[in-house]
Amino acid sequence: MPRPGAVIEVDRNTPPVLFHFGEGVRLEKLPLGSRVVYPPDPFEPIAHPERAIKRALAKPIDDDPLKSLLRRGMKLTIAFDDLSLPLPPMAAPDVRQLVMEEVIDMAAEAGVEDLHLIAALGLHRRMTEDEIRHIVGERIFTTFWPDRLYQHDGEDPDNNVYIGKTAEGEDVTLHKRAAESDLVIYVNLTLVPMDGGHKSMATGLATYRSIRHHHNVKTLLASRSYMNPPDSALHHSCIRQGQLIEDTVRVFHIETTVNNHAFPAIANFMQKRETDWTAQDQAMFLAMKQMTDIAPPAFKRNIFHAMRAPYGLTSVQAGQVDAVHDKTLEAVRNQLTVHVEGQTDIVTIGVPYLGPYNVNAPMNPILVMCMGIGYLFNFYRNKPVLREGGVLILTHPCRYEFDAVQHPSYIDYYDEVLADTTDVVEIEKKYEKRFAEDPWFRQLYRKSHAYHGAHPFYAHYWAAHAIQHAGDIIIVGGEREVVHRLGFKCATTLEDAFEMAEQTVGRYPSVTHLRMPPIMLCDVE
Amino acid sequence: MTWYSETGPLTRLTGKLGGAAGDVMRVRRAWHWDGPRPHTWPERGAVVPAPASDLGWARQEPVRTIRLLIQRGLLLPFTEVMAHPKVEGREWVRELDRPVIFAANHSSHADTSLILHALTDRARERTVVAAAADYWFKRPLLGNIVSLFLNTFPFSRTGGAQAQLHSSSNLLKSGWNLVLFPEGSRSVDGRMGEFKPGVGHLANETGAPVVPLHIRGSYQIMPRGQKLPLPGPVRVRIGKPMTPAPKEGSREFTARVERAVRTLAAEPIQPDIQGTWVERWRAGKPRELRYEAD
Repeated sequence: MPRPGAVIEVDRNTPPVLFHFGEGVRLEKLPLGSRVVYPPDPFEPIAHPERAIKRALAKPIDDDPLKSLLRRGMKLTIAFDDLSLPLPPMAAPDVRQLVMEEVIDMAAEAGVEDLHLIAALGLHRRMTEDEIRHIVGERIFTTFWPDRLYQHDGEDPDNNVYIGKTAEGEDVTLHKRAAESDLVIYVNLTLVPMDGGHKSMATGLATYRSIRHHHNVKTLLASRSYMNPPDSALHHSCIRQGQLIEDTVRVFHIETTVNNHAFPAIANFMQKRETDWTAQDQAMFLAMKQMTDIAPPAFKRNIFHAMRAPYGLTSVQAGQVDAVHDKTLEAVRNQLTVHVEGQTDIVTIGVPYLGPYNVNAPMNPILVMCMGIGYLFNFYRNKPVLREGGVLILTHPCRYEFDAVQHPSYIDYYDEVLADTTDVVEIEKKYEKRFAEDPWFRQLYRKSHAYHGAHPFYAHYWAAHAIQHAGDIIIVGGEREVVHRLGFKCATTLEDAFEMAEQTVGRYPSVTHLRMPPIMLCDVE
Repeated sequence: MTWYSETGPLTRLTGKLGGAAGDVMRVRRAWHWDGPRPHTWPERGAVVPAPASDLGWARQEPVRTIRLLIQRGLLLPFTEVMAHPKVEGREWVRELDRPVIFAANHSSHADTSLILHALTDRARERTVVAAAADYWFKRPLLGNIVSLFLNTFPFSRTGGAQAQLHSSSNLLKSGWNLVLFPEGSRSVDGRMGEFKPGVGHLANETGAPVVPLHIRGSYQIMPRGQKLPLPGPVRVRIGKPMTPAPKEGSREFTARVERAVRTLAAEPIQPDIQGTWVERWRAGKPRELRYEAD
């Protein structure tokens, strides 16, 4: 049985703690009495994933066996999650590949001729051929690309259809091929509790017209947190939209979960608690630290982005969406949950090199905010680890660095919108529609590999709850001008940051460090 | 007896060398090395050619290993950088269970590298390329170097077709895949020419399936007459293997293969030639491991 997560109190003998620092790492001494929260150790993966997948398809939950749903002459569509998860990308074979190969085998046996595969991107960027090949595997790619395996385009007027309105007045759109199919099979990989369920279809195969109903400031401020679906207005909206989709088209959901074994052997020290570091781990840390201290950012990025995570499949379930997702969430929570007693005045988090929206690209300042203040802060249930009005301290170099291909709208967002205001409510009202309908951003989203024009707004809204909750946010090691543009404070060292934080939370504050990634979900009592 | 005595070894050696030199001088004078052939001599008779070498050494170890290293280290990376070929239909050549004939259009010297690049490692390692004997093997050194790189063997375009087909069918029967360019020569203007019936003869004689291939873009990379390649995009489309129908003549089958290659050139996917997704999916199924019983 792997060790559960732990909360360790720092004493005189506690070794310094690892902080992620973008494409780099740091060791920091925390004040005596601080708490360090560690994620649980990775669960043992299923030994024979193919057998587990076959079993799940043969005995679905609250649904008929998949084989009985497939017939000659039907129109079948398989939709699957894009490269925004898992992070880092999974070492081949990806579990989505294993699931899809089983499904396609069944479809071929049943004589299904009209089969399409769609990458459910939502408003994310189009993937490159190599990225798709990595997810689906060589055999699926060579058989179906490009006429039967393609990517959703949320701005294609000919290939998206309007389905209707929910009881709350939310528009619902869907990819035309999916809407016209006799059966849609959604193949999902759930890494965190936010993913999967109705959200898969309601965002993955939708357009801006329907996504804007839950990706907005009001909904996200009412999501406490969006990593806990029962308390998330975002998910309530997705469920309403998803139910309308299920009324329109027959959907068979296949959800998979993986353990939190996020780092390969070469970076094993990132996976382990510091007290578990062997001589080899210490040597690897030293080597990586020296390399990241002297190497140019582009070189470091290439090294880090080439890492593939040895995730292992921990569960697979298929069938009716709600029943399946309940099982999925249970499996994810079992892997990620750490019980934490009480909130603290200061929370520290090291922001790593990678988030969902910068695979194979630098993490620009808006994505640093999205990752650190949006995602990592929100990994909680019940209430945040940080008390209201407390200070959130992040470590990241936070450079003025953008990928012009993937993030063109982010550049304008930084230069134009953030120069004007950092108030998300005002930003939403004043700028979002213009960016979302900008013809150039639309063209780059459709034909290049760019995120949608509205995407930087969502990245900022994602952080809205934490910004509202925290009294102060300090980024250690960031470029001063950039951090100020984001509306936060900048510190050179962690000691300076604690010093600055004392002005907000008083002397002798309580401190908790969330040692992520590997990710965890803090269940705060 | 001293070494310089009349019957000593030095004297004997000198005598031998002198004799050999005398022989050479005699032949030189007799056959008029330094002058034209006497007009009074009769015409030369027809010469029976020596049987053409099929360069068997190039298909044996350690040459195969050397070629593997050359191809992986030089040829394939160079092809990837220059053309970044998009390959469609690789599943048809992934799990070949018998030797096949690859029949492709031909518009450039780059075609052979592009075809080898499109094949899987296992298929490539068992593939020979038919190269024009009168072009590549006119100079033996060049022919041998090309053979080391690409595993070529001489294929006559001008005569002795039966003998050449015989050596090709022997290669097929001994387990080698064969790359053929049935047009016989590179296209002058990039357009595809008529196929010669050799491919049909071979398929009929050996029963080997023919895999139609179409290469688009190689003419822009290195057209006829150009010495060095230029970078450019290339698409290699591989069709599903074809076999002659019962009682189908070689010429009819060749015409069918030609039509298939021409159809592959068309823009949308061609399920008739490339196979339906079910056929392609089944073709790509990994071969199951089989263990010999003790």
